[in-house]
Amino acid sequence: MSAQHLLAKTFSDEAPGLGLFDWKPIFYIGSVGITKPMILVLLVGLIVVAFFWAAFAKPKLVPRGAQNVGEVLYVFVREQIARPMLGKDAEKWMRLLVPIFFFVWIGNLMSIIPFAQFPVNSKIAFPLFLAVMIWFLMIGLGIKHQGFFGYFKNFMFPPGLPIFIYPLLAAIEFVSTIFVRPFTHAVRLFANMFAGHLLVALFCVVGYHFLVEQVTPLGVPVGILGVILTIAMTVFELFVQAVQAYVFTLLAAFYISSGLHADH
Amino acid sequence: MSILAAVPLDPNSVGALSGALKSIGYGLAAIGPGIGVGIVFGQGVNAMARQPEMTGVIQQNMILGFAFSEALALIGLVMPFVYT
Amino acid sequence: MSLATIVAASEANKNPLLPDMAEMTIGIFSFLVVLFFLGKVLLPRIEKTLAERTDLIEGGLKRADDAQAEAASTLEQYRAQLAEARHEAARLREEAREQGAQILAEMREQAQAEARRLVEAAHVQIEAERLQAVAQLRAEVGSISVELAGRVVGESLEDEARQRRIVDRFLEELEQRSAAEQVTS
Repeated sequence: MSAQHLLAKTFSDEAPGLGLFDWKPIFYIGSVGITKPMILVLLVGLIVVAFFWAAFAKPKLVPRGAQNVGEVLYVFVREQIARPMLGKDAEKWMRLLVPIFFFVWIGNLMSIIPFAQFPVNSKIAFPLFLAVMIWFLMIGLGIKHQGFFGYFKNFMFPPGLPIFIYPLLAAIEFVSTIFVRPFTHAVRLFANMFAGHLLVALFCVVGYHFLVEQVTPLGVPVGILGVILTIAMTVFELFVQAVQAYVFTLLAAFYISSGLHADH
Repeated sequence: MSILAAVPLDPNSVGALSGALKSIGYGLAAIGPGIGVGIVFGQGVNAMARQPEMTGVIQQNMILGFAFSEALALIGLVMPFVYT
Repeated sequence: MSLATIVAASEANKNPLLPDMAEMTIGIFSFLVVLFFLGKVLLPRIEKTLAERTDLIEGGLKRADDAQAEAASTLEQYRAQLAEARHEAARLREEAREQGAQILAEMREQAQAEARRLVEAAHVQIEAERLQAVAQLRAEVGSISVELAGRVVGESLEDEARQRRIVDRFLEELEQRSAAEQVTS
């Protein structure tokens, strides 16, 4: 097993680029190569289920240990995401929003966990299927709750505007709701994780290159700066990961709510 | 890196040139959203200072507005990959 | 590093915007596992527990409210009873005072009646004694006056029947005269 299997790239002669996200299969099942992101995404599922199993398998009226933490997180999703967006429907959709939030968040968190060190969501496949699922859900709910023509009429022709605006507005709204929404929903998460990982890797490589590979009197301060920036960027990534998981779930709730009610 | 070295007329320099163009394109694409995100958070903080009791709602909408304006910069970031 | 290697490397790299189907399949599988365990098993449990806790707390609050309401109503009841008792006491005192006044008045009435009765009886007795005295005087005045007259005129009026007649006649004249005076007046 060479470095390409676990580090995706040897950084001996160039700055980190797209190669960071191009993993060689570690082993094969049939003809399908199993790569590190696939193992990580399974690990994410395992961690989320294991944690919530420990917390909520036998919930007690007076919470203890993991249940305390689980309840804080659950209540955070309910009070900060579900209730403001969905109002009285919040309780019902919590069962979808909580898995989404923790799947995304733990997936992002993999970026700073030693030996994992790869944000699962910087592979477009994972945010994309979540976004497409939400998109189908949004359109399905819209057609179910507002009728087929009612749904399209409600979001393309909001009432109370001058009549000559409608042709333009309807086209913009149609494109933005049907095409741009799922795309930006997935790409926002993907691009943040992608860019964040690239930045952290870049500073890592700067530090490694100037402090280990080519030690020169002028290079050492640059290498030290690279290490400091790596630490700073890791802390910043920790923040960005949580914010992006929050935004992803918030938008999911917003899209679901836009399917349920016309007034959004 | 080797962008400057690539500028001399060479059939192979097209790749490096397009890489440089992508960077410039992303820089241009980030201007508007950068201003937009600044406005969103500035006005959000302003609103919270005026009405501290509405902080929860304001934060909610602030994050939403931030996400929507940030989307444009992200489209700028990924657009180069669409045209590889 | 030559340009050719960069171009080759970037061509060798997959477009990061194109999803890998194997990755997506495993991702969907992983997410469905999470969705199943959390959505179907674990979240309903914690929802139930949270609802129970809310119920319990609200129930406790309601019980406390009830107890407070009961205490308030009992206090109200006691106050009402106390007020009633005070009212009753006042009423009794008033009654007693009235009764006392009545008794006093009755006794005074009785005493006055008794006094009147005594005075009446005394008057009657005095009248009777007066009449007796008058009758006795009438009997005695005749003899005394005859004797006095006999002594004055110097002759003995021995014929007693004659004497009595003269005196009676004289007295009747007197009574008639006084009766006539009473009639005229």
